Amino acid sequence: MVREQRLAAERDLTQPPHHRWLWNGVYAVVIVALGFAVYTTSKRVDYTWRWERIPQYIVSNEGERVATPADGIVRLDPSGRALEIHAQSDPPQVTRIDNVDRITAGEGDPVFAGDIVAIRQGYAAGPLLIGLWITLKISALSLVFALALGLVAGLGRVSANPAAHNLATTYVEIIRGTPLLVQIFIMYFFIGTVLDLSAFTAGVAALAVFTGAYVAEIVRAGIEAVPKGQMEAARSLGMSYPQAMRFVILPQALRRTLPPMAGQFINLVKDSSLVSIIAITDLTKAGREIVSSTFAPFEVWFTVALMYLVLTGTLSWVVRRMERRLAASD
Amino acid sequence: MIEAQIALKGVGKQFGNGVAALKNVSLEVQQGEVVVVVGPSGSGKSTLLRALNGLEGISAGEIWVDGQAVHDRRTNLNRLRTRVGMVFQQFNLFPHKTALGNVMLAPMQVAGVAPAEAQARAQRLLEKVGLGERGASYPAQLSGGQQQRVAIARALAMQPDIMLFDEPTSALDPELRGEVLEVMKALALEGMTMVVVTHEMSFAQAVAHRVLFMDGGELVYQDTPAGFFGQPKNERLRTFLGQVLKA
Repeated sequence: MVREQRLAAERDLTQPPHHRWLWNGVYAVVIVALGFAVYTTSKRVDYTWRWERIPQYIVSNEGERVATPADGIVRLDPSGRALEIHAQSDPPQVTRIDNVDRITAGEGDPVFAGDIVAIRQGYAAGPLLIGLWITLKISALSLVFALALGLVAGLGRVSANPAAHNLATTYVEIIRGTPLLVQIFIMYFFIGTVLDLSAFTAGVAALAVFTGAYVAEIVRAGIEAVPKGQMEAARSLGMSYPQAMRFVILPQALRRTLPPMAGQFINLVKDSSLVSIIAITDLTKAGREIVSSTFAPFEVWFTVALMYLVLTGTLSWVVRRMERRLAASD
Repeated sequence: MIEAQIALKGVGKQFGNGVAALKNVSLEVQQGEVVVVVGPSGSGKSTLLRALNGLEGISAGEIWVDGQAVHDRRTNLNRLRTRVGMVFQQFNLFPHKTALGNVMLAPMQVAGVAPAEAQARAQRLLEKVGLGERGASYPAQLSGGQQQRVAIARALAMQPDIMLFDEPTSALDPELRGEVLEVMKALALEGMTMVVVTHEMSFAQAVAHRVLFMDGGELVYQDTPAGFFGQPKNERLRTFLGQVLKA
């Protein structure tokens, strides 16, 4: 808040007020001109805009397709609104699926886990919304592992122990020196094959390892920003190095790292689009699939971009609020 | 067996750039003795103090504190430091903890004292330094003099036998120094062994049993306050006192 007021005051000093609406006007003109440029370019390539095709991929009213969770034989309920899957095991196991509107499987059909057996009517999330959810899930999961990895590596970076310090430095340098896309390929095709990882696991692992290196640098900077006297005071009281880190240094350091850490999370959300390359149906992959079935690439990619923007915009709004609250509590 | 509570034998300290911070310093401090160290800045007095609890390593000689060899790598310095309290020029209070939290932390985490007892002990110590009411305040809400008194209470929390003071009043405005010096004086009267690096000549005159003068990493001169500030037989000390007492 204070910072914004100061910036506003500086603007006031450097610009007389009547110039401000002039430059706001310039901003508006440039934006309109850019929009017009996009419009005329698309005209020139003879493109037919079909925006009406997009909403169904965000929210569809085709109904939710219900998959069976288990293998077995279908037995229909007389009501026509429920069915049972009888597994041919000993003792026989029965899985009941209730409240469906239309059953697509027939009496006595053998089905396997994941097969669609019925439809529930109403609105359901379309592929883009599901993709957005996958993107968020991958990002959040990667973040948890990246934080743990980054904390350990960050502590290694400030450690006087050569093994810890050199290992952490090697990790950070290798990860920051190679492209994320290449890391994803290595994680999926090499490590994923050796350890038999699913695409999703490999994707989360690659993003976590990548982001962890940046988190390590944020943690290191946070620790180094704590005055040296804090460590000396803690040690002079008889605390061991780990105790001093845990009770004195880290509580102060991590507070300072919250804003950059949140910024790193926003980067993670954007970086996660690269895992679409290893067959994870995140927002980007969903976009690609829809493009190939609708032949409406412009609309789809604009929509996908907008959805990323909404996600990152919300996050950075939360971060700004957090920064303000931290600044107020200092 | 070494009788003195603190004993230094030919202590030397060389920094990486070849500068000698300490040159062949030998010294003994008896239990209950208050020793004040003065000298120009860069004379090695802070280095000497920080060597006493192993915050600063030494390159030559021996340091014995409470019969423990500080210079020996095998000595458990963490355990030794619980018996040697230290007060810093910049207070170095933990800003994320209240005054009470600052004083309680080490007894709880290092000595394993139960929280209730640690809090009672911390409260008594804050009362002792005249801050019984300010236990819930964070360091940023306290004046410099109050912060330094909390820092003294924190150093006392581990019930040390020895207290080290590294220019405890140098970062304070003149009108706030008195309250800190009062607490230190009371501590000295209780019989605490104290080594104090300071520029407060009046404190040295009033409280010290012995005053040491350091210059260029050497322990140049030591005497009782009367002899030290009276007619010292050392030329460098006379020059130093001339400058300090004039100012």
